[in-house]
Amino acid sequence: MAGRRVLVTGIGSHLGCELAARLEADPAYEYVAGLDTRPPPRALERTDFIEADIRSPVISKLIPATEVDTVVHNQIVRRPGAAGLSPQQAHDVNVVGSLQLLSACERTETVRTIVIRGSAGIYGAEPAAPQFFTEEMTKLYAPRTRFQRDVAEIENYFETYSRRRPQVTCMMLRYQPSIGPSVDSQITRYLSLPVLPTYLGFDPRLQFIHERDGLDALVASVRNPVRGAVNVAAPGTIGLTRIVRLSGKLTLPLLPSAFAPVVGTASRAGLASLSPDFERLLRYGRGVDVTRLTEEVGFEPAFTARAAVEDYVETLAGRRVVPSPRHAVTGSGSPR
Amino acid sequence: MTDARTRTSAPPRAEGQAPPATSPPPPTDAPQRSAAAGPLAAATAFLRAAREGLESGVGLADALARGSTAAGTSPGQEARSLRRLAGNYDEDDWGFDEEYVAAVRPLFDFMYDGWWRVETTGVENVPARGRALMVANHAGILPWDATMIAAALLREHPEPRHARFLVLNWAFQLPWVSAFMRKVGGVAASPYNAERLLREDHLVAVFPEGVKGAGKDFADRYRLQRFGRGGFVEVALRTGAPIIPVAVVGSEETYPKLGDAKPLARLTGAPYFPVTPTFPLLGPLGVVPLPSKWRIEFCDPIDISQHGPDAVDDRSLVFEITEHVRETIQQRVYANLVTRGSAFF
Repeated sequence: MAGRRVLVTGIGSHLGCELAARLEADPAYEYVAGLDTRPPPRALERTDFIEADIRSPVISKLIPATEVDTVVHNQIVRRPGAAGLSPQQAHDVNVVGSLQLLSACERTETVRTIVIRGSAGIYGAEPAAPQFFTEEMTKLYAPRTRFQRDVAEIENYFETYSRRRPQVTCMMLRYQPSIGPSVDSQITRYLSLPVLPTYLGFDPRLQFIHERDGLDALVASVRNPVRGAVNVAAPGTIGLTRIVRLSGKLTLPLLPSAFAPVVGTASRAGLASLSPDFERLLRYGRGVDVTRLTEEVGFEPAFTARAAVEDYVETLAGRRVVPSPRHAVTGSGSPR
Repeated sequence: MTDARTRTSAPPRAEGQAPPATSPPPPTDAPQRSAAAGPLAAATAFLRAAREGLESGVGLADALARGSTAAGTSPGQEARSLRRLAGNYDEDDWGFDEEYVAAVRPLFDFMYDGWWRVETTGVENVPARGRALMVANHAGILPWDATMIAAALLREHPEPRHARFLVLNWAFQLPWVSAFMRKVGGVAASPYNAERLLREDHLVAVFPEGVKGAGKDFADRYRLQRFGRGGFVEVALRTGAPIIPVAVVGSEETYPKLGDAKPLARLTGAPYFPVTPTFPLLGPLGVVPLPSKWRIEFCDPIDISQHGPDAVDDRSLVFEITEHVRETIQQRVYANLVTRGSAFF
C-alpha cells in the first residue's frame, strides 16, 4: 500500500513547519507538501514547498497536481498584526483562503481527509457561559467579534462541503490559545508585556494548549481523523490572577469602561495590541471540554492548563533579570 | 440562582455592625481563630491585610484576596499571603479555592452562631460523598441562605463537605462578585454546569425560584414561587443524583422587602432594587441583615434514579417530581416556622 500524501497550508508558521517536519520523518507519509507565501522558518528534508497565496484561485490548479489524500488547513490568522497582516487581510486569509482551499479540494479527486486547525474562539467568552463548552454548544451565544464570525463562517463552509462530499472526512479542530516558548500568540505576547492590563475585579478562568501538545494533537488528528468538531485544549482551567502571580508581573487593573481606551492607546503607540476576542477572554474567560479529543482521537495532552502556564513561566523566568517574587519566596520549593 | 451583589464587601460590613456590641478594634496583633469572639478581629485582620496589599501596589482584587487570606489566621499568616501572592495556591477547574473559603469562614461562622443562631436538622440526609442535588427555597435579597447552608454542612455534618452553588448569571458580569463567587464554589446557573458538577460527584445546591424567590415582597414571605421549568429535575434524572429538599426559615426576615425601585434596578441592570426599612435609608448600614432566628432542615433524599436518564423527555413526570419537591419544601418551611416561634427571639 502506498504511503499517504499530505498537504499542509500555512507552512511558513512555526506549527505548520513543525508538523511537516514530523510527517516527513515518518515513512508512512510518502509525500508532504507545504503551501504558503512565506518559506518555512527552518529547512525541511523532503517537503515540497509550494509558494502560493491561499487567497488566490491559482491554488485550484496547484493542489490537484499534488494528488494528496490529506489536507491540513493551518492558515487561520488568530492574532491582529500576525505576519504583518491588517485586520482586513487577516479576514481575507481566513474566509477567502478557506473558500479557495475548498474549491481546490473539490477539484482534487484524491482528497479523503481535511483537518482544519480552527479556533475555540467560535464559542466566544461570556460571563455566564458553561464552564466547559462541548462541541455542540456553538450556537449558545450570538457571535460578538469579527474573528468569531469568521471562524463560524469557515466552519460553515467546511460543514457544507462535508455534507456534499460524504466520502471526505472533515475534522474541525477547535484550538484554545497556544502557550509556549516558541509560539507567538496573544497570550504569550500579553504575558511578555511589562505591565499586564486586567479588568478590575475579574478573575477569568482561562485554558490553553501547550505548544508541544498543540503539535502532537495535530499529528494525532492527521493519523486518526474523526468527523466533525473536536476541542483541543489542555485539561482544566487556570485563573488569570494565578497566571499573573506565577509570572511575577505587575498588573494594571482597569475599569471595564477604561480598558478599551487604555489598551487602544497602547496599541496605537505600538506597545501592545490585544484583539477584541482576547479582551473578552481577559474579562470572562473560556473553557472547553476535551472528552472527544481524548476518547475519540485518542490523544491525551501531556500538560494540564496549569502545567502549561507553569512551564511557560519557567522559561520566561530563565530570561528574567529581576527574580520574580515566586522564586524569591519559594526558593527551591517546587510549586504545588 | 442567587444574587450577591454585595457579598464580596460583606466582611468590612460585618465590622461596621459589630462595634456597638464589642470593644474598639484590637491593635494589629494576631487575630483569634474563635468564631464567637473572632468576627471583629477577623474583619480587622482582613482590612489590615487588604490595606497592606494596596500599599504594596498589588491591585485591589489581589489586596482583597490577600486580606481574606489573612483574616482568621494567626501563625504563618504572612507566609501564606506571600505564598498566595506568588501564585502558589490551589484552585480547582471551577475556580473553587478551599483556602479562600477557610479564610472567609470566620465571618460566616459568626453569622451562623452569633447573629442568626441557626438550628440545623437532618444534616445526616446529605451523603458524605458522591453526587447529590440540594434544592432549597430562596429568600432575602442577598444569598445569605446559600452561605448558611454551606456553613451548616461544614459545621454540623459528621464528614464536613463543601457544596457548589448555582449562582444567578448576573453575578458573573460584576467585578469582584464574579471572582468571589467562583472562589467560594459558585458556578453560573447553567444546566450544563450542574450536570458536569454532578458527574464529577460534587454536592450541588440550587435555588429553583431564583430571582422570583430572593426578590419577593415581605408580604409574600415563605410562599414558595414557581420552580422554573423543572430544569433541576432534568439534571437529576440525567445524572441519577438524589434530590435533597432543603427548607430554610429565617432568611425572609433578614431584609424585609417593602418595595422595588424598578427604575433604579433597570439603571444598574440588577434584577431588582429592594427598598427595606433600613435600605437605602441608612445607606451602607442598611445592608446589615436583621438578626432573625434561623432554622435549616435537610429533608429525606428523593431518589429518582429508577426513572433513568431517558425520563427527561417525559414532561408530566418532570412536572410531577418538580411539584413534589416544591410541596415538600413548602410543608417543611411551614413546620419549621411553627417550631421556630418568634421570628427574632
